Amino acid sequence: MSDVSRPARPPGWEILARADVLSGLLFIVIAAFGLWASRNYPVGTALRMGTGYMPRLLCWVLLGLGLIVFAQGLRQPAPPLRSSPLGWRAMLSVTMGLVAFGLSIERLGLVLAILLITVIGALATRSLRPMETAIAALALIALSWGVFIAGLGLAIPVWPDW
Amino acid sequence: MEFFDNLAIGFGVALTPANLGFAFLGAMVGTLIGVLPGIGPIATIAMLLPLTFHLEPLSGLIMLAGIFYGAQYGGSTTAILVNLPGETSSVMTCIDGHQMARQGRAGVALAVAAISSFFAGCISTALIAGFAPPLAKIGQSFGAPEYFSLMLLGLVAAVVLAHGSILKAVAMIVLGLLVGLVGTDGNTGGTRFTFDIRELIDGIDVATLAIGLFGVGEVISNLSRPEEQRSVIAQKITRLWPTGDDFRRSWRAVLRGTALGSILGVLPGGGATLSSFAAYALEKKVSREPSRFGRGAVEGVAAPESANNAGAQTSFIPMLTLGIPGNAVMALMIGALTIHGIQPGPQIMSERPQLFWGMVASMWVGNLMLVIINLPLIGIWVQLLKVPYRFLYLAILLFCAIGVYTVNNSSAAVLLAAFFGVVGFILMKLDCEPAPMILGFVLGPLMEENLRRAMKIASGDPMIFVQRPISLGLLIAAALLLLIVALPAIRGKREEVFQG
Repeated sequence: MSDVSRPARPPGWEILARADVLSGLLFIVIAAFGLWASRNYPVGTALRMGTGYMPRLLCWVLLGLGLIVFAQGLRQPAPPLRSSPLGWRAMLSVTMGLVAFGLSIERLGLVLAILLITVIGALATRSLRPMETAIAALALIALSWGVFIAGLGLAIPVWPDW
Repeated sequence: MEFFDNLAIGFGVALTPANLGFAFLGAMVGTLIGVLPGIGPIATIAMLLPLTFHLEPLSGLIMLAGIFYGAQYGGSTTAILVNLPGETSSVMTCIDGHQMARQGRAGVALAVAAISSFFAGCISTALIAGFAPPLAKIGQSFGAPEYFSLMLLGLVAAVVLAHGSILKAVAMIVLGLLVGLVGTDGNTGGTRFTFDIRELIDGIDVATLAIGLFGVGEVISNLSRPEEQRSVIAQKITRLWPTGDDFRRSWRAVLRGTALGSILGVLPGGGATLSSFAAYALEKKVSREPSRFGRGAVEGVAAPESANNAGAQTSFIPMLTLGIPGNAVMALMIGALTIHGIQPGPQIMSERPQLFWGMVASMWVGNLMLVIINLPLIGIWVQLLKVPYRFLYLAILLFCAIGVYTVNNSSAAVLLAAFFGVVGFILMKLDCEPAPMILGFVLGPLMEENLRRAMKIASGDPMIFVQRPISLGLLIAAALLLLIVALPAIRGKREEVFQG
């Protein structure tokens, strides 16, 4: 994403870190990736559209839009975005928490999956004390069990499948 | 009187004790989640979808609609008491609502918000009951070309009415259309953008996308900012009932807000957010004392609150009658209907009148529930607002995870939601509004299908879109909209509206 701006850095980088410039780049990259991924899809004709007709059309449109947004972003003055360590930390631990939940829910069951997502998710912020995390995990386990298992009777495994 | 007969059918099913209970329950949980700052109606609905799974379709929908109103209204409570909009549609309520709260009139502000919303809800429910049948009749005469042109108009309108940069909004829609293509192409049987991942062959579910972009994305986004000191209005809320002066000042604002909201809600891309922005701007413009705005003017609460509720309600019209979602929330509602085995469209009114009219009647019931839930229980919501975010986000994150898992019954979907969470966070950071993306995502496959059918009907001649009168009219409307928004004068106005 964005870079922490330091006074020593040449202004070229500052321009690249603007929200519009980066969005333009993002659109261009996605469109290019889409075009590459759909390179073998049969396109067909307007009458008999193949699998690739729509994807390729949309990718070209996105590519064009990305270029315009990029160019506009270069021209208009805007402050560069700054990335914060807080953002990276939040992104990593939230994502990892979800991944852990997804991978564990079927084999290890709801209780352990909740434990994993709370403990890993709690790393996202420095303000949670270990004791607080533990209490939160227990409360969430009780609440989810009450709502989803006892209340709604959803077919989610609760305990590990030995 | 067909109008009353229809409503009678509706109230007949909506007022059964069970369905009343579900409406209450829905509004209650919706408010509960909606009150929490930083979680909007889209994420709330997506997260709570599993709660409605095991119900009958009508009860499920009634509960879902209750959740929607609750989430919508809960945002206003947060806006007034903490000066943090629970969602974008209550941004305008913050301005004067929070000022009123600081002047010790928090109770009055909440009551005005509730009463204005309820009034707007009554009017817009009647509008839905009145306008849905003729619209559905028109819808039944639509063929593939008309549908395609209508959806195109919808996307264009969504762009014009979107917040912020127009180009970026277009790009977000295209991105949504592309994500909508992932999976098997129904026509040719070929797979697109699946990268040989088995779980992607059936495509991506709208709830997964919504929970990822909005739920998870918002959690990351909130955590990435240093935790701000939330100043919940601490003094006890004693006086709820507005004074005569408040009534005198706000009744016209409520009428104008309701009218504006009802119109803007029907427009594709409209809905609650736009309505509240426009109503606030209008009220400031027509007021004889514009300087009162921003300093606790009661009209500044009444107008956006009536408008956002009216807009939220009437946005159901195109969804229920034509099967076309006008905004991201309706896109999600379509997803929910499909889960219950209902294909929204013009035929649903004649084929399942009880379901249709029951839902319309339950909208009114839901609005009534909101008043009941919000005014007497306000103390509970205040307590809830005092829970620090470091505890809240863990619960939100978990409910996102359980929601995605149960909607899809697949752990791969949870991983996908995590991915879209990162995408949503990046997009928010880059000032790209993710809501149009959901709209594109849902409309994409429908548009492709109708485009293909239209081309088949016309043996590949694109002129079919301009030869059919209705289709031509819709396309002209879309072109006009694009033209208008390109005019510098209008562009300035648009920016003005969104800046309030």
